[in-house]
Amino acid sequence: MPHQVGVTAVAPVLPAREEELRQLLADIGGDPTANPRLGFGAIEGVHYARLFLLEQATDLQGRPLPAELVFMADFDAPAAPRLRLLVSSALAAWSAMLSCCEGFGPDDAGTARVLAYLKGHRVRDAAYYVNTVGLSLRQVLAEDRLYVAAQSRLDREPELRDKSIAQIHADFKDWLSESPDLSWALSPPEPPRLSWRLGELVHAVAVPLLGLILLPVAVVLLPFWLIALRRHEGSDVAPLVRPSAAHRAALEALEDYGPVNQFTAVGFIKPGLFRAFTARAVLFLIAYGVRHIYNRGSLAGVKTIHFARWTYIDGGRRVIFASNYDGSVENYNDDFIDKVAWGLNAVFSNGAGYPPTRWLLWGGARQEEAFKQYLRVHQVPTQVWYAGYRTLTAVNITNNASIRQGFGRQDGRERWLRRL
Amino acid sequence: MAAPAVAELHGPASSSRARQNGRGALEVGDIQGLLASGYGNLRAATYLLYRVQSPARARAWLGTLAGRLTTAAAPVTTVGTNLAISANGLKGLGLDPEDLATFPIEFLEGMATPHRSRVLGDWGSSSPGTWRWGGAGYPVDILLMLFALDTATLAAHRAATAPPRDSGLSTIAELETSDLGDREHFGFRDGISQPVIEGLGRTGPERDMISPGEFVLGYTDEYGAYPVSPSVGAGRDPQRLLPPATLAGRRDLGRNGTYLVLRQLGQDVAGFWTFAHGAAAGAGQPSAVHLAAKMVGRWPDGAPLVRSPEEDTPELAALNDFAYHNDDADGLRCPLGAHIRRANPRDSLDPRPGSEASVALVKRHRILRRGREYGPPFGGGPPPYVDDGKERGLHFVGLCANLLRQFEFVQGTWLASPKFNGLYDDSDPVVGAHAPVGGSFTIPADPFRHRIRGMPRFVTVLGGEYLFLPGLSAVRYLSSLPEVRT
Repeated sequence: MPHQVGVTAVAPVLPAREEELRQLLADIGGDPTANPRLGFGAIEGVHYARLFLLEQATDLQGRPLPAELVFMADFDAPAAPRLRLLVSSALAAWSAMLSCCEGFGPDDAGTARVLAYLKGHRVRDAAYYVNTVGLSLRQVLAEDRLYVAAQSRLDREPELRDKSIAQIHADFKDWLSESPDLSWALSPPEPPRLSWRLGELVHAVAVPLLGLILLPVAVVLLPFWLIALRRHEGSDVAPLVRPSAAHRAALEALEDYGPVNQFTAVGFIKPGLFRAFTARAVLFLIAYGVRHIYNRGSLAGVKTIHFARWTYIDGGRRVIFASNYDGSVENYNDDFIDKVAWGLNAVFSNGAGYPPTRWLLWGGARQEEAFKQYLRVHQVPTQVWYAGYRTLTAVNITNNASIRQGFGRQDGRERWLRRL
Repeated sequence: MAAPAVAELHGPASSSRARQNGRGALEVGDIQGLLASGYGNLRAATYLLYRVQSPARARAWLGTLAGRLTTAAAPVTTVGTNLAISANGLKGLGLDPEDLATFPIEFLEGMATPHRSRVLGDWGSSSPGTWRWGGAGYPVDILLMLFALDTATLAAHRAATAPPRDSGLSTIAELETSDLGDREHFGFRDGISQPVIEGLGRTGPERDMISPGEFVLGYTDEYGAYPVSPSVGAGRDPQRLLPPATLAGRRDLGRNGTYLVLRQLGQDVAGFWTFAHGAAAGAGQPSAVHLAAKMVGRWPDGAPLVRSPEEDTPELAALNDFAYHNDDADGLRCPLGAHIRRANPRDSLDPRPGSEASVALVKRHRILRRGREYGPPFGGGPPPYVDDGKERGLHFVGLCANLLRQFEFVQGTWLASPKFNGLYDDSDPVVGAHAPVGGSFTIPADPFRHRIRGMPRFVTVLGGEYLFLPGLSAVRYLSSLPEVRT
């Protein structure tokens, strides 16, 4: 089964076409309870995808920023054929959207021109979180079919109840091997390609080794960094700003139609070398953490996020945070405050307007009201949002995977049966 | 496109990092009594809903009422009186728009917005378009709650206290209540589990002792912070009726007040017991009462399933000091989706079920319940249960200082969500909408679960409103508002 890859592309929008693009995105986004009219239906290897418009803005130095169209997708590797499929299945829409962007040309593009443009505007994510590495879309959908079938069987055959757990387990295995469309479940899922796994292992080991080598330098620099940190924190101001009613309405109109929601937020990095450096350093650590440590169902205790990423844009002046998560935004925020406030503080305290922190990790998100308003103010509507699965939560998916694996194992059968 | 933000009028919620938990020192003379007690000895009650027609006369009546409101200072004897006002009501009374804007957004928008209805599970026959009062169709401005020892005393109290005809108020509805003893209409003992506000003199299990700021504005909450409190510009309180607010130049309107959630929940008792009777055998339960107990999490007389899983144990009827993780992590005794396990998960949720952190998390999502039943008791068995066509249910009253994090969280994330605690399609079996999603109920069992699908709906929302339960100083302030110059 392939590993997962995040693709991000950012394109500046022609000023005269911004309104037209906004309208186009609203049309394509369509009904928020269903997938967008972008031919995204059941695309192999696409977990989630989104398109959103960042409006014209002014940076912290007063320089103008054009409106930008951002495309983000969570693919099963390899990304290139997925992108090709996405584009070719809705070529007219892609061409229309991109013709509103700088340097694309007229609205009559073929697949090649669209793909070339997207490739030319690709941006590397600073950090990319995947709930369970190696869990492909195909596996998610297949294991859900397995779950539904197994549940139906338990409903229809209550006489199974008279058997022992070992007998039920064996009975299910027989049933699976006799069902041609489900017998795959008897073998464990294939892990990602060996060459990829080796590459990950090398990275996992090399980075801390490098860190060890650089440790003396880090130790020498640490006091200076800490002093600078306290100086900056002492002068951080964050007036409590509430989102306007119109902004909230625009966000809420796209939320809570099902158990899975999207979240997109953008903010400026505070000016100065210290903040720029700290943001990069923290994001580097986060990238390492989510790549090698938090890749099996839990992001430091939060189990409701399917995918998330942090991406620099505008030459490092702004960062986008985008995620797909379970539950309401209130639940999401409370989860963060209660479980990973330290992590949020470490990265977002470098963003302008964040509630003041102390020693990078304290304060900040723990100021409940200020933190929640900060998130809402910096959140932007995700006009076009595609989900490969809208009714399964991350916990459901993990549970389904455990059920499938349990078919092939003898130990833990009682636990296994409880999952159903 | 609209600007994403507007600058705030009031400062950060907590400018001090004081970890004091507000023990003692609650200004009980200013706090309305409903926060301290449900007035259990006052068996009769009625809730009157009004709209403000003439601001000046309504304010005058409010001024005469202020001194008669029941406070938390002394236990009630024969009658009780409490008052709550909605956002629309505050506007109607003439509160300055700039001051009104300092109230929380969810309170100002009200319970009935499309997004909120999605979150709360108010869809289909519970959607605000069908409500009899509340929401955009019949906004409630003022709620007057009257309590008395018995119906005769209540009638006299009502005659003496309800606003006379020329008070500038028109009646939207009168929500009468009935006395079902300690039961609710489905036959289950209700009100066993309540949070205990620290500082009011009562104690309970440590798990239930909650910082006062969770329920009363002006005191620290479970985050150790002071919840955001609505305020008025100092220039608009020349008589200094209100205490100073944390932000300079403003006076604290919210202090000693809280938010009140009012919802009329119609209960289909015949439908509930017909369902329980018909589905019990298929769900592996020996009787309808067994199935109903699995749905609720307690036996009808109150014994919790966690302590008494197979049969009722009457001696455990009032038991409330129990937890889930050690005795019943998998829900074999009390199903994971049972009503009381959802409304108060105790120590059963992440992070680290069974730990202090788990309990601390749940403490931030508690509601104080003060509602009362209405309608005659259902005649009852034997089955088949035929609906007698009479209306009955619960006038749900919930009090909390943070509507989003407390009421909406419990109602939306825990009760209405079909995905609570790892479930797939199970909303609350008793109060859930059950359609189009969430109509399953999973009963964990050995060797494997029983599962019911396509449950009918038993509870329908017939009306709802968010209101503000002000402190007495705030009531006096509102009655002293000047005429609005238009």
